[in-house]
Amino acid sequence: MSCHESSTLVPDYFDETLSLQHRNVMEAHLQHCADCQEALADAKNLNAHLRQWQDEAVPQWQRVPRQLQDKSASTRPHFSFWGQWAPLAGAFVMAVAVMFNVQLQIADNGLTLAFGGSAGVDANNIAAQLAQFETEQRAAQQQTLQELSAQIEERQAGSNARLLETVIEQFGDSTTRSLEQVMAYFEAQRQEDLQLMQASYQRLADSDFQTVRSMQQLANYVQYQGNQLR
Amino acid sequence: MSFTDQDEALISAALDGSARAWERLVKRYESRVYNFSLRLTGNQTDALDLMQEVFLGVYRNLHRFRGDSQFTTWLFRIAHNKAVDMSRRKYMVTSLSTLAGQNQSEEDVLDHITNDKGEQDPQRLLSASQTNTEIIGCLDILNWEQRLVVELKVFQSHTFEEIAEMQDISANTVKTRFYTALKLLKNHMEQNHELS
Repeated sequence: MSCHESSTLVPDYFDETLSLQHRNVMEAHLQHCADCQEALADAKNLNAHLRQWQDEAVPQWQRVPRQLQDKSASTRPHFSFWGQWAPLAGAFVMAVAVMFNVQLQIADNGLTLAFGGSAGVDANNIAAQLAQFETEQRAAQQQTLQELSAQIEERQAGSNARLLETVIEQFGDSTTRSLEQVMAYFEAQRQEDLQLMQASYQRLADSDFQTVRSMQQLANYVQYQGNQLR
Repeated sequence: MSFTDQDEALISAALDGSARAWERLVKRYESRVYNFSLRLTGNQTDALDLMQEVFLGVYRNLHRFRGDSQFTTWLFRIAHNKAVDMSRRKYMVTSLSTLAGQNQSEEDVLDHITNDKGEQDPQRLLSASQTNTEIIGCLDILNWEQRLVVELKVFQSHTFEEIAEMQDISANTVKTRFYTALKLLKNHMEQNHELS
């Protein structure tokens, strides 16, 4: 047989928020109710038994979630304030330089900074300089070519003369006529070689002139793009 | 710096992305949460799963912790919810396995889940002392709701009002469940003593 108060009294005993007045009523009931005393004693014993639990060691496990690992890894390198903004500032300066066609000239008298291509360098100036460079190069190469041809001709003539003298010494006057024919053949060959060599030099010079013209076209294109941006 | 202040400092650092602060915060409470999970589930595998879910839930909701209550109260509210989620998942799995039209109530199935662990060797469930094994054996006779109330009241020392708020029921209902659970445990222990 049990007291019907036990079902409220026992939980109330474990209720730390119970008012003092309510607790006094509970104590008063316990004074004369053996059933509730027994029920409460059992509950206390049970509570004590459960509290004998000994904490088990936690097995090894992954404490840090992957999201936090990634976040932590991405925030690990610490840059200073200026370090963080340096790439953006650099990109901004480059963009301004392109948009406003900023030109920086380094001369003996210092630096010259110009916007919109109004500095001393313009397309006409570049074209004139390149044309002058082409003319100078062409003249220099022409002169070099002539000098080389003269040297070759002189050397070849000297060689032929030495060959003729040697042959005359070896075979005497009887063979002079046939040697003159051989000489004519050598001379024809020499002239042909000379022409071939001149043609080769000319092609080389033309190739250089083509390079100069390409540079001039590139300069014109850059100037045109700058004008378009303005 | 008080324990609560240390918690708040670690939480703040963890919210700023410090994995180290988070790890320290977890280490302060993982033993309590793991043993909570162990008493509820009765086996290490489920306990580890539950603990991981609890801390993942804490991490995902950390920005919502306002410091109005103690961190432990907030933590065990999440732990309680995760434990209920786990019990429901197990209930669904069991329900699917008994789809053949058996008329079992939810309470029957929950009882089946909690008693299901009794079929396993208790020595394999825990590596700890005989006392722990006996306690797990006692708790096994309770259904999930009773077990949660005993866990939160006896082991976590929450008030009945706090438990009522967690479970969205009245404090009197919590007290009734607690009293019923104590009676069942007492009977179980008496029977065991009689048998021995």
